[in-house]
This record gives sequence, structure tokens and C-alpha cells, in this order.
Amino acid sequence: MAGGAPVSRLAATDHKKTAAKVGIASLCFFLLSGLLALTMRAELAQPGLQFVSDHTYDELFTMHGSGMIYLFLTPAALGLGLYLVPLQVGASQVAAPRLALFGFWLYLLGGLTMYSGFLTDNGAGDDSWTATIPLSNSSGTPGVGMDLWVIGVALAVFGSLLIAITILLTVLRLRAPGMTMLRLPVFSWTMLVTTFMVVASFPVLVVAMALLLAERHLGGVFTGSTGSIVYQHLFWFYGHPVVYVMFFPFVGAVAETVATFSRKRFFGYRALVVSLLFFTALSMAVWGHHMFITGAVKNQYYSLTSTLLAVPAGIEYLDLIGTMIGGALVFRAPMLFALGFIVQFLIGGLTGIIVASPPLDYHVNGTYFIVAHFHYTLFAGSLFGLLAGVHYWFPKATGAMLRERLAKASFWVLAAGANLTFFPMFFLGYDGMPRRVADYEPRLGDLNLLSSIGAGVIAIGVLMVLANLAVSLRRRVPAGNDPWGAQTLEWWTSSPPPADNFTTLPRIDSYAPLLDLREREEEAAEPAVEVPA
Amino acid sequence: MNGGPRGGGGPLVAWSTIMVALGLMLAIWSAGDASALLFLVGPAALVPLAVFSRLRPAPGGPRLLARVSVPVVVTALGVALAAVGLTGGLWLVLIGAEVGVFGLVWLAIEIVSERRRLGR
Repeated sequence: MAGGAPVSRLAATDHKKTAAKVGIASLCFFLLSGLLALTMRAELAQPGLQFVSDHTYDELFTMHGSGMIYLFLTPAALGLGLYLVPLQVGASQVAAPRLALFGFWLYLLGGLTMYSGFLTDNGAGDDSWTATIPLSNSSGTPGVGMDLWVIGVALAVFGSLLIAITILLTVLRLRAPGMTMLRLPVFSWTMLVTTFMVVASFPVLVVAMALLLAERHLGGVFTGSTGSIVYQHLFWFYGHPVVYVMFFPFVGAVAETVATFSRKRFFGYRALVVSLLFFTALSMAVWGHHMFITGAVKNQYYSLTSTLLAVPAGIEYLDLIGTMIGGALVFRAPMLFALGFIVQFLIGGLTGIIVASPPLDYHVNGTYFIVAHFHYTLFAGSLFGLLAGVHYWFPKATGAMLRERLAKASFWVLAAGANLTFFPMFFLGYDGMPRRVADYEPRLGDLNLLSSIGAGVIAIGVLMVLANLAVSLRRRVPAGNDPWGAQTLEWWTSSPPPADNFTTLPRIDSYAPLLDLREREEEAAEPAVEVPA
Repeated sequence: MNGGPRGGGGPLVAWSTIMVALGLMLAIWSAGDASALLFLVGPAALVPLAVFSRLRPAPGGPRLLARVSVPVVVTALGVALAAVGLTGGLWLVLIGAEVGVFGLVWLAIEIVSERRRLGR
């Protein structure tokens, strides 16, 4: 079969090609879900109903949230890991290439199944990305569209789970000689702990979706006074960790970027490893804070664990800042996106401490304050981390450099757009504007208009990024093996890497073998100093 | 290039231990809330992977893997069709199952021929 034939591309088992497929599919779902967000912001630019009905608005925010979480950020994070982890650990392939390919196809078909709900009589799923019972049962939301949403979510999440398992097995089984666990690059560590969370929590959602489908068709599953609470436990046991699945890989990407563009070894490597283990385990223990207002969970426990998250998060911030202190900082586009992540995620993280307190959560729960909080973590945080990674590793994956000026301009436009869109939402929520509504009180019009203008600015920023990708691929500026002077193994091989990743490997003495190599070469090149007699 | 060190279960065990400790803390604090059992899900799912990794280390030699595997795509298509059939009707479940089984048989043939080429 010819290498470039469509079938061979779609069924290629090479981890880099599977990861590229995941990347392209998740980009398409991002653009689709982003269009839904733009439609929502157009509707909300003024009070009253302008373009869409209440029911259509329900579909829009459901498919926007579902698309971004199930079909964009989670798979994009795992796709980045699928591409890079084998390269970073010195493996010639991923541990189970067919399983990864199978996972990709389930994810893609799941996404298409979710979106196909728009073609049905009652429209797509419209119970938000959480599909809370009893809203999502057959009497609350009749119709095939919601069934397709449930099935699509189960397929997409199961596919993501399979991809994560292959990454986990790659780290456990296929590390190159010398690559001990404490020599794993920071990004690979963040991917490893991410896969722990995926393996632990994603099966629970698949089971929850199967039970929800049974509830919709047969009934009697989530019934009685506790039915809704049981569903919420199952859902949020996945629903909170997934937020961190969409966070840790990008912390890793930012850490690699910061170390490279600070021209320094990463500061506090071992502290970071320990904090990652605690951070990810703790983040599995906070799901109940989404249920404070139900009165059915031990609020003190979940408030304590949620607040404790600030400790490992603080260690990670300390490590990132410590890496920059005393470094020879180079402000290339990946570094700008990394700094954008660090600053903007902090706003999301600090407002997370506010909603970790039950009395404060009672006030802002179900309002735009929550929308602002999680968009600062996921858009202004994670997406900027992803873009840092994309700008950093694009030369490795394609062999071509991105246009630096356009990349920097897109960063500033996206940063302006993100803050213009999401910062006013804190005030809107604090003033009592409920989320998931198509209409609102006229007194909230100015801030909503500001937010809608910001959404337009984000759209321009996204178009600039896409234009940069297209121009850079069409009129290529060759990148070479290591255009940044980076530290980890993936930069040892050619750009793009060959089918089996490496022909040779350098000596691996630490998590930064290329930096070690440069230091050894510099030492060897230094002339011997004469000792005075 | 493959056949790296077998260690690596350490972080997995450490992480699972923290999970169990957090679950115990919830169980004690909430006087036996059943949701604390969810904490066992994580370790329960991870331990088999660690054991598999320990007992069956990766082969050190070259891996003669198919560069293209169409049966994987066919199997995934079958699974997705069968799943959509849960709302579309039994006919779609059956078509999906047939496609899935066809894909699995094709996959088995592909794997057998790979192993023959390796001389195993």
C-alpha cells in the first residue's frame, strides 16, 4: 500500500501518525465547538432573545461544553502525550500501537455520534455536559439526540482511555536503557500521572453513561430520592479529575518550554515529581465539591481536600518561577504562551480556592462566576499551555518553523480576547447572573456586551494561529533537529522523526540528556588552565 | 532500542496508596459513606497494568509490526455501529456486531502472519 494513500494514513499504526490524527480531529471539534460559543455570545450580546430559542440555546451550551471537554482538550492532551512520550523515553514505538489506533477511531466516531444529534427531530443533547438526572432521563429529555449524546460520550471517553493506557504502558515498559523513572523528562512525568487519573476515573464515566442509557430506555436505575445523588457521584468522580487531565500535560509542556527558554536545568525536579503524585491523587478526592449544595456529601472533607490542592500547585508554580530566576530568558513565541498560561491559570486557580469554600460556593454556584473560573483554568490556562506546546514542538513534528511575528501577534490577540471575554463574567456571576440562560436582566447588558466583543477577539486570534500553521507548512523554513537548544531526547532525532524514531541514542544520565551532552562538550572544549609555578 | 528497565511500578504503587488513604479518610469522616468505595476503583484498575508490565517485560528485539492495520479501523467501526444500534434498533446492533467480528477475525489473521514473519 502506498505510503500516502488515504487508507494507509487513516489506518497507520505509527504513534506519531495516530497522534497527528488525534490532533487534527480535536482541532476540528475545537473549531466546531468554538462556533457554537460564538453563536452563544452573539445571543448574549444584548438582553432578550435575538437569534435562538431557549431550547436551541440549551443545545448550544451542551454541545459547546461537551465538545470542548470530551472531544477537544482531553484528546488533545492525550494526543500530545501519544506523540511525545515514546520520543522522550527513547522508545521506537508506543507500547500498543493498535490499541492507540483503535482508541482514536472510537473517539472520532463517538464525537461524530454526539454531533449527529443535531440532525434528529428533537435536536442534540441539551442537558449540559454533565447530563444531570432527572433532566437527562427520558421524560426530562425525550428524543434520539440525547441518546446519541450518551452513546457518543461513552465511545469518545473509552477511546481516550485506550490511548492513555498505551502511554502508560510505554513509560512502564519501553524506556531506553538508562532512562530510569527519575530521569523521565518533566512532560513525560506529567503524562504518566495523567494516565493514572484517566485509568482510575474514565471507566466510571463509561459505566455511568451505560447506566444513563439504561435509565432512559428501561427506567429504574437512578430513581428515588438518591438516584440523582448516585449519578452525580459517578459523574463527578470522572468530571473533576478530567479537569486535571486537561491541565497536567500542559503544565509539562510549559515546564519544558520554560526550562529551554530560560537556558537552565528545570528547578526542583524531584519536588515536582512528588508534588505531581500528591496533586493527582488529591485531585481524585475533590469531586464532592461540585455537590456542596446538595447537602448529601461531607462538605468539610471535600472543602479540605480542595483547599489542600493549593499546596502541590504552589510547589509547581515555585518550580516554574525558580527555573526562570537567574536564567537567560528568551522570549520566543512558545515562551510567551507559557507565561500566559502561568499568569492566567493563576487567576483560575485562585478563584478555585473561593469555590472550594462551601459558604462562598453557595453564593456563586450556578452563576457566571463558575463559568469565569473554569474558563480561566481551561481556556486562558490549558489552551495557552497547549499552544505553548504546539509552538514549541511544531518544528519537531513537521520539520518547519512557525512564523515568529505572527505567533507573537496571535498570542497578544488571544490574551486580550481571553481576558476581555472571561474577566467580566466574575462580576456578572457575583451579581447573580445564572449560567445556562439565553436571556438576562437589562442591568447586566454592558458587561455581557464586553464579553461578547472579547469572544470576537478570540476568534480573530484563533484564525491567526490557523493562518500561521497553514503558511508555515506551505512555505517551509527548515527547522533542523534542535532549533531551540532544547534538553530532552526528542530533539536528538531528525525533524520530523523517522518511522522508528531513533537511529542512535545519546548517553542518558539525567532527565536532560541533551543539556548534559552540551555541558560535556563545553567542558571538553575548554582549554586547560596552566597552573602557575 | 526497546526492552527498557522493568521498574516503574513504584510511582503507581505510591499513587494507589495515597488514593486508598484518602478513601479511608473519607470513609471514617463520613461514617462509612459508600462513595468512599470509588477510591478503590483507581488502584483496582491500575494494579493489573502494573502486574502485566512486571510479569511480561517488553521484548528486547525488533518489533515487526504492521505499519497499516485496516482491521483495527473495521473493528472500531463495528463497535461504534453496535453502540449506536442501542438507540437505532436491533438491526444496527447486529450489523455492528457482524462488522466487529469480521474486523477481529481479520485482525487475528494479521497478527498470526506478523508472528510467522518473526519466526515465532
